[in-house]
Amino acid sequence: MIEIRHLNKKYPGKLALSDVSFDLPRGEIVGLLGENGAGKTTLMKCMLGLTRFEGSVTLDGEPVSHRNIAALSFGTGEHSFFPGLTAQDHRVFYEAHFPRFSAQRFHGLLDFFSLPPHRKLRTFSMGQQNQFEVILALSQGADYILLDEPFAGNDVFNREDFYKVLSGILEPHETLLLSTHLIEEVSGILGRALLLRGGRLVGDLSVPQLEEEGKTLLEAVKETYRYRADRVGRALGALTGEEELP
Amino acid sequence: MKRRCERALTPPGISFAAERRWFAAGLVLAALWSLRFVPGYLRALGALYETDRLTGERSLLEGAVMPPFAEVLGSALAGFPVLALAMVFVAVFHYQSHVRGSRSILLMRRLPDRWELHRRCLAAPLLGLLAAAAAALALWLLYFAVYRLATPQECLLPLSRPDPGRFLP
Repeated sequence: MIEIRHLNKKYPGKLALSDVSFDLPRGEIVGLLGENGAGKTTLMKCMLGLTRFEGSVTLDGEPVSHRNIAALSFGTGEHSFFPGLTAQDHRVFYEAHFPRFSAQRFHGLLDFFSLPPHRKLRTFSMGQQNQFEVILALSQGADYILLDEPFAGNDVFNREDFYKVLSGILEPHETLLLSTHLIEEVSGILGRALLLRGGRLVGDLSVPQLEEEGKTLLEAVKETYRYRADRVGRALGALTGEEELP
Repeated sequence: MKRRCERALTPPGISFAAERRWFAAGLVLAALWSLRFVPGYLRALGALYETDRLTGERSLLEGAVMPPFAEVLGSALAGFPVLALAMVFVAVFHYQSHVRGSRSILLMRRLPDRWELHRRCLAAPLLGLLAAAAAALALWLLYFAVYRLATPQECLLPLSRPDPGRFLP
């Protein structure tokens, strides 16, 4: 289990994360939701030890360090692959560094997405690069898979393929933390949603519980964020000088 | 096996063989530049002699002294510090390669082997630095041997222990 306690992260002149605490047990698919600048990427980078922070992040009781970091994988919309290497070169590199790397899953996913194994990554389209980034994160052999906006730049068909893959191939011990804006699209695969706003954790929602209450995840998110449905009408009214739209 | 070891000396996607070729070219240029020692030495050596205009015979000038080795050597080995400086830029280029085109730095910094990033960015430049230093030392010894052995002994200044203090202001 990953335990995060009283996590604070400051950038000059800005508090990026403020007193964030939660647990991430094995075997869950968790959404990390929030608007731009809410702190989703920063939170993931803190969990991976890629940036300094105050507070604690532990993995099975131990601080995350080079000794246990292989249990966490990271796929990011910024892309962490090597553009000058081919997909096969990446397999060789990952196998050398991650003993639990799954070549079977890697090749299976390459086939599924029809990605060329012997072309350099820099020649891939943006959508293909996103797919490859996720393939690496899923194949590393990690227990905790952190995906940060992995679908940015993909069309809806690509994204639907992603969801099928994600919900179909994860083992019971694998945990997925998925940061995204696309709440409606991912709500079908999530078991839980963490809501960040202005660097604070403002909600920790159980999706099955919401369903029991007859609410959708999107409704619960809007409620938590106190979304003002009339704001579009007000804005248009102010801009055009006409009466508010209904 | 050798190829795999070599590949681990540069960031993934950057060819060690290509960098080795560039370095070898730099080494050759630095060595060629060092050949400036030869005409400089021959000029200094020639200045020790006078030539009889009638007979054409050369004889040592009385009391002629060969300039110190450092003076004769001049800037002949200057190519090697330049090559060493280039290695610093290569190291910076290696680190920067992890934020160009993608953010592979995010992968390199979360590898279980925490030295992998620095090994791949610094190994080749450090090897280059050592090779440049070794080549400079070898040429210095060669030219010093030429200076000591080819110069008439009576014209050489006695070897003195180096005084580190003379480099201080």
